[in-house]
Amino acid sequence: MLIPTMVQTIPKISIKGVRDGLLIRLGPGGFGEVLDELASELALKKGFFRGSRVILDVEARLLEREQIKMINELLETNEITLWTVLADRAETRDVARNLGLATRLAGSNVDLDGKIIEETITKSKVVSNGSAALEKGHSSNSLLLQETLRSGRSISHEGHIIVIGDVNPGAEVIAGGNVLVWGKLRGLVHAGAFGDDSAVICALEMVPTQLRIADQIAISPGEKQKSPAPELVSIRDGQLVAENWDTRR
Amino acid sequence: MSAKVITVTSGKGGVGKTTVTANLATALAMKGRKVVAMDSDIGLRNLDVVMGLENRIVYDLVDVIEGRCRLRQAMIKDKRLPELYLIPAAQTRDKMAVSPSDMVLVCDQLREEVDYVVIDSPAGIERGFRNALAPADSVIIVTNPEVSAVRDADRIIGLIEAEEKGPANLIVNRLKPSMVARGDMLSIEDILEILAIDLIGVVPEDEAILVSTNRGTPVAMNATNSASASQAFRNVADRLEGDTVPLIDFNARDGFLTRLRSLVGSPK
Repeated sequence: MLIPTMVQTIPKISIKGVRDGLLIRLGPGGFGEVLDELASELALKKGFFRGSRVILDVEARLLEREQIKMINELLETNEITLWTVLADRAETRDVARNLGLATRLAGSNVDLDGKIIEETITKSKVVSNGSAALEKGHSSNSLLLQETLRSGRSISHEGHIIVIGDVNPGAEVIAGGNVLVWGKLRGLVHAGAFGDDSAVICALEMVPTQLRIADQIAISPGEKQKSPAPELVSIRDGQLVAENWDTRR
Repeated sequence: MSAKVITVTSGKGGVGKTTVTANLATALAMKGRKVVAMDSDIGLRNLDVVMGLENRIVYDLVDVIEGRCRLRQAMIKDKRLPELYLIPAAQTRDKMAVSPSDMVLVCDQLREEVDYVVIDSPAGIERGFRNALAPADSVIIVTNPEVSAVRDADRIIGLIEAEEKGPANLIVNRLKPSMVARGDMLSIEDILEILAIDLIGVVPEDEAILVSTNRGTPVAMNATNSASASQAFRNVADRLEGDTVPLIDFNARDGFLTRLRSLVGSPK
């Protein structure tokens, strides 16, 4: 997860978009349980993942040939391609390699031990590195969503996120970069989630449940705006500030 | 004959799914349709109670699925109407006794025999909800004019869209026009602004509902005044049948002076 404060229980499955495709991480629990959870998670977001390629991070879990095959079959029925298996254990990596799967991410800063790219962008590191290291992380990479995000939807992406539609209360959008909502923003948005305090959030109508940029959190005043206008929220002097788009220039 | 399978759901509990299911099934049957009302709330059934058929249950949905009886044996005929049937849920089992594919199989059997199958869904978004959703041709979302119910409805609509089930139509239940007028209750416009789906009915808060639920006689059976819940349910049935029926103007009950004031626009 990108936001340490939100991690209460370790989920059996985490699915997120990364630069190289879709990252599926298997959490703790029996293999059957985890596979069921993956199946229901994929069924829930069927259309969303279709056609993507997957990096499967199994961490310290020991997977047998048959088990990787089962996961592969499940992904294939969801029109998703298994591409890479990242594993802490050499045995699991050998099995994956025998099945013709990659076990490291080419051209990325994943080392031979299979430690993944995202680990290098943990929050503690960001503080020491500053935002320079992050710039390349999201500069070239945007996710465009052309739909209204209803309650319960969670979108996380390491680059910018653009939503053409509303973000309803109960939905959350978490981006490494900026977030632009061409619609009403009523839910939760976190921009600059890796610590980039230059990130901004824009919306045609800004009535969020909560906004976060980097490690700053703000809630909206709550009163209904009489004539809603596009607004841009950014960090000024360590605080989240909303400005009316029309009057800011 | 090929039945239309309509699932009534809400996410939040207590918003009136069972009341809506019972009354829609009744109202459709009163229009001469052959209707099956099905309770998919295994372990917490009460559609049978609301329809007043509890004491006639011999077999239930789980008996059908597990092959202990034929489908016809589990269909309890409501003797007050020519073609209204109830398939009750099992009370002593839980949601895992039924799978989504079981529901599809049962409904496919019913499709040949009836015009409508109206399925009462349990609250929540888990197995029971998925069971109820699996066979649906269309979905009716029930919500109340309050923020928490609308929030849950939004979540449910998202899940339904992800399953590509639909179209989802909205019933706003338990509306109090006087509270809306004072600005103390969400208005229909407020709700539609968030949910952005088609509205198929607005049902007013009506004491008659409580009385009828306790008696086991759905309000739709009794003709009452034109701004009642009974009439609202019958209007929804008309709309399901493809008729264009305007929404009830609840303010019409106000006196002449109030209407005049609202025309002039002075504060109430």
